[in-house]
Amino acid sequence: MSILGNWRRRLFWLVIGCWVGQTIWLAWYYAPDLREMAWRVVQQRAGAAIRQEDPFYRWVLTLAAVIPPRDTYIFLDNYEAGKEIEARYHLTPRRHVLLPPAAPPSFLFHALRQEKASYLVIREGGKPWSSSDAAAESAAFLLLPVPGQGLVFKVDYERLPGLFYD
Amino acid sequence: MIETALALLRFLLGLGSVCLLGYACFALLVPNPRDFRTLESLCLSFGSGAVALTLWMLLLSWWGLPLGLILSLVPPLAAAFLGLAVKRVVVKGPEGSEIPNPISSPSTSTPFQAWDWVFIGLLAALLLFAYFRAVIYPMWAWDTIATWGCKAKLFYQSRGMDLTCIEAHNYYPNLVPLLLSYLYFCLGEVNDHLAQGLFPLWGALLLGMLYSFLRRMGLNRTQGLGVTAFFALNGTVFISHLFIAYADLPLAYFALAAVGLLYLWLMDAAPRGALAPAAAFFAGLAWCKYEGPPLAGTILLAAFLTLVWLRPPDWKMRLLKLGIPILGLAAGFLPWRLFAAFRHLEMGADHVRNLYPHQLLESVSYLLRALIDPFFFGFLWPAAALALVFSGRGLWRSPRLFPALFLGGNLLAVLVAYAVAPTSAAEFDMYVRATIDRLLLHITPVAALLVGEGVKDYRVRQQIETT
Repeated sequence: MSILGNWRRRLFWLVIGCWVGQTIWLAWYYAPDLREMAWRVVQQRAGAAIRQEDPFYRWVLTLAAVIPPRDTYIFLDNYEAGKEIEARYHLTPRRHVLLPPAAPPSFLFHALRQEKASYLVIREGGKPWSSSDAAAESAAFLLLPVPGQGLVFKVDYERLPGLFYD
Repeated sequence: MIETALALLRFLLGLGSVCLLGYACFALLVPNPRDFRTLESLCLSFGSGAVALTLWMLLLSWWGLPLGLILSLVPPLAAAFLGLAVKRVVVKGPEGSEIPNPISSPSTSTPFQAWDWVFIGLLAALLLFAYFRAVIYPMWAWDTIATWGCKAKLFYQSRGMDLTCIEAHNYYPNLVPLLLSYLYFCLGEVNDHLAQGLFPLWGALLLGMLYSFLRRMGLNRTQGLGVTAFFALNGTVFISHLFIAYADLPLAYFALAAVGLLYLWLMDAAPRGALAPAAAFFAGLAWCKYEGPPLAGTILLAAFLTLVWLRPPDWKMRLLKLGIPILGLAAGFLPWRLFAAFRHLEMGADHVRNLYPHQLLESVSYLLRALIDPFFFGFLWPAAALALVFSGRGLWRSPRLFPALFLGGNLLAVLVAYAVAPTSAAEFDMYVRATIDRLLLHITPVAALLVGEGVKDYRVRQQIETT
């Protein structure tokens, strides 16, 4: 057998050996998933029931009961947190507009008026955002008694002075 | 329990109808569908059916007709079967294939070897795990919630392609969201965990197609199954895409079909009329994801360069025949673009603003690391590189040049895409990490074809050396 042929054979079996090791590693890597799946099937806590375990989802469900399907809401949150996309997913077909929580009140008011948004949702209601303070002080906003982590305001956008923003 | 079983039945009937529609389209496109093996027909039918059904749903939306199960499914099914009936009456061509079909030859009736069962067992275990992993959990992955699943839910709820209430990459093509919304119509509700079962099935079809192509390339059953298992169980990217409901797995499926059929055609190993179903998969590429048209462009460019370089006896006629997949590409690209233009949807321009040379240099190291890091694709890319190296000078004298050019061109395209990506220096690292595995997933099944060529070469050399 030629030297090159020998090398080829060794490389072939080296790759096969690495692959066998990789397959064993994959089984180890996904073993926790497998355990949890088995536990969920036995406990009958699968599918839609899994969402009910998430407090954020339960809060969004209460929002769905408050905001009519044809209305627009502004969601005040950081995109990077990944919660806004969840809220949008669960609240479709309601029209969804995202603004960062650090947006100045003047821009928030302008956006509410321009988008004709009837609701303002602030996910992290406990934090000291200037926008939430301004909303709480304005007569155009009504804080709704929705239990959960965030704040929900009913907005009378026509009462907002926000026709122009510079 | 009974409700779950009924929902599963509805889901399977819905998918079966897509396959039926696809088979009718497939049988219309090829001179004799019996030139294709049952597994090949099934794998190719689903893709053709998904393209036909969702393009029809796009047309319905364009005409302002409400989407629903009957209107989405019955007219295209009726039209396809009417076309098939007309074809049977009008066209009375010769039966059988001009090309010997290596995988339906008597040698395939040989009994299964122990290694065949090992590989089948590994693939079955993977697909079973992926299926349950997909259907036990509701949709949760970022892009699924943000784009694909969100649009599907919206299309189902609004019974049309109403994109006015969200901003979820509205300009992205909609094959996957429309197919998911069709499944919701079949189920009668938004059951996103059951609908996620589509993706492991899609992965199974991709694996079936890879195996079929490997057999047509001349690998025996054990080698074909071995390379398929080597592809599927290498790294975490393919496995995780079996249950996260992203459009990247369907795009990889369409890319494999388009490249595989063209490769077999260049090798003269394709069944008659293989370019017509290939055209359907070019349409699928363009209609599946934003990256699809450039991917299709690289396939066509690689085929063009291969033909010009190798100059087979009928190369000019073959160059003309490349017009068939180009027509398919246009059929998948134009309807959505026209729809978006008429509806004044803003088209994204994420990647065409400026060139940032430092990003090009940085992305080279990211790309190399992703290709050799076992976490992503295991040892598949190094194995494909070895197969290419051991092809030697034969690479430049055979159609194997085609997949090599396609892969090389796409790796280069990935680097260029990162070089023009408008991200800040702080975001660039995160941006590349979040996307590179997916970009490579689109072309990795083609790298598995090269691994298959390497295995074939190795066996041939072993036989020569032992004799």
